[in-house]
Amino acid sequence: MDRFLNALASGVISGSLYAIMALGLSIIYGVSRVFNFAHGVVALIGGYLTWMFLTRLGLGLFPSMVLALLILFLAGWLLYHATIRGLLRKPNWEFSTVLFLLGLGILLENVLLQVFGPRVKAIPPFVPFDPTTGLGTLRVGPVITTWHDVLLVLVVVAAVLGLNAFLKWSWTGQAMRAVAASIPGALAVGIDIQRVFALTFALAFLTTGFSGVLLGTKYYMTPHVGWEWMVKGFVIVTFGGLGSTTGAIYAAAILGIVEGLVSLYLAPIWVWPIWFGIFLIVLLLRPQGIAGGRL
Amino acid sequence: MKRNLSWREVALVLLGLGVVLYPFLGGRNNPYMLHLFTLFFIWAIVASNWNLLMGYAGISSLGNIGFLAIGGYVSGILSKTFGLSPWVTIPIGGATASVAVTLLLGLPALRLKGIYIALLTLIFADSLPSVLTQTRGVTGGAMGLHDIPPFFPGAQKIHTYYLCLAAFLLIEFILYRVVRSRTGLAFVALRDAEAFATSLGVSFYRERLKVFALSSFLTGIAGGFYVHTLGDISPTTLGIEPFLLAIAMIELGGVGTFFGPILGSAIIVFGNEFLRVADILRLTLLGAIICTIILFFPGGLMQLLDRAEAWVRGRMRRRPEPA
Repeated sequence: MDRFLNALASGVISGSLYAIMALGLSIIYGVSRVFNFAHGVVALIGGYLTWMFLTRLGLGLFPSMVLALLILFLAGWLLYHATIRGLLRKPNWEFSTVLFLLGLGILLENVLLQVFGPRVKAIPPFVPFDPTTGLGTLRVGPVITTWHDVLLVLVVVAAVLGLNAFLKWSWTGQAMRAVAASIPGALAVGIDIQRVFALTFALAFLTTGFSGVLLGTKYYMTPHVGWEWMVKGFVIVTFGGLGSTTGAIYAAAILGIVEGLVSLYLAPIWVWPIWFGIFLIVLLLRPQGIAGGRL
Repeated sequence: MKRNLSWREVALVLLGLGVVLYPFLGGRNNPYMLHLFTLFFIWAIVASNWNLLMGYAGISSLGNIGFLAIGGYVSGILSKTFGLSPWVTIPIGGATASVAVTLLLGLPALRLKGIYIALLTLIFADSLPSVLTQTRGVTGGAMGLHDIPPFFPGAQKIHTYYLCLAAFLLIEFILYRVVRSRTGLAFVALRDAEAFATSLGVSFYRERLKVFALSSFLTGIAGGFYVHTLGDISPTTLGIEPFLLAIAMIELGGVGTFFGPILGSAIIVFGNEFLRVADILRLTLLGAIICTIILFFPGGLMQLLDRAEAWVRGRMRRRPEPA
């Protein structure tokens, strides 16, 4: 029972990280129908830039992160106007954007490799912890965790709530949801589609970069790990329903818990085959995903 | 019926003759070039079949390297472990790839569109390495499968060259006939106007399954030729680099054109080898090539060739007849 509860807790923690990671994919797809195949590397750039500002410039964790996310926000905006905007006009825009972003992702991944080298990097945790001395660890009943993990979950919950509030109540967020619901409808009420698309890319890049920072504090970063994060994100957003943010959060929670339990009762190596099995079943039975809603 | 040969047909025949005669024009003493040509034959088969799915049928598959791996592994394991002749195991490998792909991807793809198929096929190919690790007793896991027997005992580079050339020509011929047949027309019709095509009696289900079965069978065969040529295969074949190479071949040559992917594979195979000096920058370069082509030359080299030809013809027509 104790082991079960601990596995559940670790599932919730990784699930919340997966949720924030998948949100960026979901937002872009929900609004613009572009599937970001450079998603993993965007998350990694967030993590690596933060790491660089932190260790090379000696800034604190928070200023480094803000600076990194600001850069990603601008990068998303620029990328949209410089490339995606033109590609969306083509008749086969769907697959063109996929291949373009895939190529861009590999390009950037190798730039990261050139700049930062292949060695493992990690961002220091919010609260330092050391399981051997019990520093920074926390015991709730039978569950043993760290303050860092608790903070991670809280930060993710706050970020998700903040993002939802933004989408629900802010003018820009409402415009995004309008575009997601119907482009002709949004045009009819005078929404500038190009501006909304560009802001969507910028916002999604920011969110994705943020998730990269969080993943970098919990796991480790190499220039190649982004691909792994991204493919996990793909399964999550498909399971949740492409373009649905709430669906992605539920799916991430479910898959995170599945991961925790599978690691406990079978072996970590079975996590991916079981995820793939779930992915196949969802695609066969309910391609619109568990929520199947829109943004 | 008598007609003038177009310059393209002439060029094609000359290039074909050049490739057939190459070993006797000095290539025999250059095993490295023979090897590169052999790789080109195999990759051209892969790229052409990928193009059949992606270009002609408009199915956004990202998993064709997986088809190659299945065919290669099955043929390699059967011939190495059970000592069967590669001539038996290569078709078995192709058939296995075809059955597996049609069941696991073709059937789900009947209900899916666009991005969902891209995700399904990508995740399918991405899962294969973990399947290989699970079955490491048979497949060698991460170490890969080594010492796979050649096509026949004592086969030399020049034999492999001609065998792969024959496979390449045969498969391209089959693809050419398919593309020009009613089936090929049905693929294109379903891609461009699904409702109209089905209203004319084209069966969506049958044609979709057919294109998956055919493309994966022929790619699986290419996988067989791949392992018996190289002698080993490992999960790195399923890694990012071969995948990008194949995508770059199709995009560079021109998606949906018959000769585009063949031209693309020639350039990428030879270019990639000459870029070995650039080492890890190669992948950066490949990514940049793919991005540039999609942004600026979406039709690839075949479209550039068409435009160049139209431009030359326009110039020739405008020029006044010499008095």
